[in-house]
Amino acid sequence: MSLRNWMTALLMTLVGVSGCRKHAEIAKSDPLLAAYDTEVDWTDAQHIIPLSYQQAQGKRIFYQQCVWCHADATPAGPSNRSNLTPVPPLLNDGATLNAQSDEYMQNIITLGGTAMGKSAMMPPYGRMLSGEEIRSVIAFTRAIAQPTYQPPARAGSQYSAK
Amino acid sequence: MPAEEMGKLTERTRRIFAVSSVAFLAVLAISPFKDLRREWKQYKRSYLRFAQSRPDTKKLLADYRPDIDQIWLPGMSVVDRCTTCHQGITQTSLGDKTVPQPFRAHPSIPHHVRDWGCTVCHRGQGPATEVAEAHESTLAWEQPILPTRFIQASCGTCHYADLPQTPQLTRGRELLAELNCQGCHRLPGIDRPAMLGPDLTNIGTKVSREWIYKWLKEPRTIVDKDGNVTANGYETEEEPRMPKFRLTETELRGLSGYLSVQKAKPFVPYKIDARVVATWSKNPELISQGEVRFRQMFCSTCHSLAVTRAGETKLIGGDIGPELTKVGSKVNPEWLIAWLRDPEGYLPHTRMPRYGWSDEDLYKVTQYITTKLTDSDLLTSVPQLGKPTEEEIQLGHRLFLEKGCASCHSIDGLNPQKDFGPDLSAIGAKNASELEFGGAKIPHNLVVYIQAKLQDSTSVNPAARMPQYNCNQSDLDAITMALLSMKGAPSTSALQNLVVPRKEVAFHPTGSFGDVYERYKCYTCHKFNGYGGDLAPDLTYEGSRAQRQWLVDFLKNPQTLRPTLILRMPQFNMSDKDAATLVDYMTMVLQHPAANPSAVDAKQFTPAMAAFGKQLYEVKYQCQSCHTIGGTGGYVGPNLNNAGGWLTPAWIEAWLRNPQALVPDTIEPRRNFTEDEVRALTAYLMTLRQSIKPQKTASAAASHTATHGAGR
Repeated sequence: MSLRNWMTALLMTLVGVSGCRKHAEIAKSDPLLAAYDTEVDWTDAQHIIPLSYQQAQGKRIFYQQCVWCHADATPAGPSNRSNLTPVPPLLNDGATLNAQSDEYMQNIITLGGTAMGKSAMMPPYGRMLSGEEIRSVIAFTRAIAQPTYQPPARAGSQYSAK
Repeated sequence: MPAEEMGKLTERTRRIFAVSSVAFLAVLAISPFKDLRREWKQYKRSYLRFAQSRPDTKKLLADYRPDIDQIWLPGMSVVDRCTTCHQGITQTSLGDKTVPQPFRAHPSIPHHVRDWGCTVCHRGQGPATEVAEAHESTLAWEQPILPTRFIQASCGTCHYADLPQTPQLTRGRELLAELNCQGCHRLPGIDRPAMLGPDLTNIGTKVSREWIYKWLKEPRTIVDKDGNVTANGYETEEEPRMPKFRLTETELRGLSGYLSVQKAKPFVPYKIDARVVATWSKNPELISQGEVRFRQMFCSTCHSLAVTRAGETKLIGGDIGPELTKVGSKVNPEWLIAWLRDPEGYLPHTRMPRYGWSDEDLYKVTQYITTKLTDSDLLTSVPQLGKPTEEEIQLGHRLFLEKGCASCHSIDGLNPQKDFGPDLSAIGAKNASELEFGGAKIPHNLVVYIQAKLQDSTSVNPAARMPQYNCNQSDLDAITMALLSMKGAPSTSALQNLVVPRKEVAFHPTGSFGDVYERYKCYTCHKFNGYGGDLAPDLTYEGSRAQRQWLVDFLKNPQTLRPTLILRMPQFNMSDKDAATLVDYMTMVLQHPAANPSAVDAKQFTPAMAAFGKQLYEVKYQCQSCHTIGGTGGYVGPNLNNAGGWLTPAWIEAWLRNPQALVPDTIEPRRNFTEDEVRALTAYLMTLRQSIKPQKTASAAASHTATHGAGR
């Protein structure tokens, strides 16, 4: 019947119109603007790495405690790294450190080199830094690693938006 | 009307009614439909689907309700509905970057979102249920979300005391103080020191009118558009203190004229012993000897000089005092002598210590400064100004008050206007509608306004009196951060109770120690009970740390302890009496309860213990990675060659047990030594002795300084 068709058509239009409401756009945020802090890539001064709160705390602790041996330049001048044998890895040395698990990194920082069969020159920091602080240093290490650090894949962690 | 027609009409009316009632129903139906499709409900459903795609669905949906979620904290006037869409905010498994927003978990921070809500830190409109309303600035709500880059500002809103976790905010607060912003503006937590710019009461006795003209036109330390700082044309990292004002030629003439006649309290010229002058004035080594003494006294710990090495000229030295490369062409030589003998006689709050000068040193050093640290071209660009006219002086006087000079520089008898610039104690809470943008074509929001104002104050207000500051981007962001943190006193009493105030500290001892301490300005570089500079070691517990004799020897003839640190303790030519006063006080008062020097007797240490300690030092703990003994070891910790002649055994033992208990921010790792190991290491370190040889020959001292460089 024509009336019914007419009515259906009207309804559909209205439904259609109401559905056309503008969707609020979620602004694509600039990772640097949304970062708590940043660090210049040690291998490329043009590349700025955004840091989260945790990574930024790791950066702070790194530049207080670790920079003396795990970087080539320190806030107070040349580094102590060249004085040491074996030479400690640079903190951004992804080729060496990416292969180590977070657990291993946590252990060597907490317990020191001797406990992990490495050089005794690496002191234990377990009585000086909290577990949270040590985790933040690891997070910072991962953030600045070159080549880039890929976290081990966890099963079922990918979300496919339908 | 015929029945047929009547029937037709009825039929038509009925049709119209039918259609319109259906249309009405349809319109009514839109309302629940629209309600069903509201933004937040879409996010709710989307989260449901998202959670189902995750392995830990059950945990993610434990608190799920299809309604609006809100965090209600009546005490803080927080009604935050942000969690309606940001549903995974407390789910630790959603912290990964691959999780789409708005479901990602909040990074772990010291405050929990359920206790604080969101808008306390992030701003935005808490009760809103639409994305745009909540995040953006609207007519009804002018506090948009704070860009995360500036989030540390929110920490500073309650934490007035500096936090280690917010380095940029701390830097911003430091910059506000260093750039002397508190000279004109009221800034909470940034106090006005006793002196901002130098007192100009006697400036006419120190420099010429031409020099003042040049300085006003182009201050020594200038910053280009990119934020590069140069002092006297040399690149430096020093913070510029005197900003550049926009002054016309007439204004320059007026101000320089007014200042050049400020001679209210002329200095008394000091006559250097004629015999000294007679002996040295003909000596060809006079200037080079003056330079040697200048270096030996470590003037460069506070003052920098341009040094050319390998074709590259750079400033080397500290930035506590002014850069001195061309000072010989600046100051009146008689003034210089009077100044060096008694700095406070000219400038009451100066940080320059009063050295103990012999006439010979005074002659050599001032001759060096006025002969070598000069630039004959310094004033060539300045017109011959001559004696100022009465009108020029009057104009200068008026400008001195009107331009705000008097806010930082005092002149006896001159009363500056109070609160010269706007009060900034609540600048961070200002709405965009409260700000003056003038004709500037920039987005109307607070962050953009602050940055525009800092970069060029005339861009938003052509009549702005604020001088020109050029900052690089990171400094600009830091200052913006500090200003954004200043939101005034918290609005509710619950928030007021949360404010973490800044600890006020000052250490001004009295008595004979206080006199010597003030004369040498020990606190400029050293900290005492949390008060003072951080250029040199904290001396709060120095009486526990160092042996008495070592302290006396050090004060009489300071030697550097850390090879990496090239800043040195100046040689004050301290008298035996002054040294004894300082050391007596330190050994009596500046003590740590855990390290009482008399509690540990060095006689208990046996050679066997020392041998065990040496082995621990070299093999088990490998302390040589940071400390040097002999010629080998690292440069991170202090050189231990003279540990036995320097440190007290009580200090070494307490230090080895827990370094941070003695010096909270020391980087010495806290080890887990056994008591036997502590004693053995102490026994070993106490065997290390090396006599400090005074720098006897001038040439040896000069070469020593040259190899280490004089600067930082």
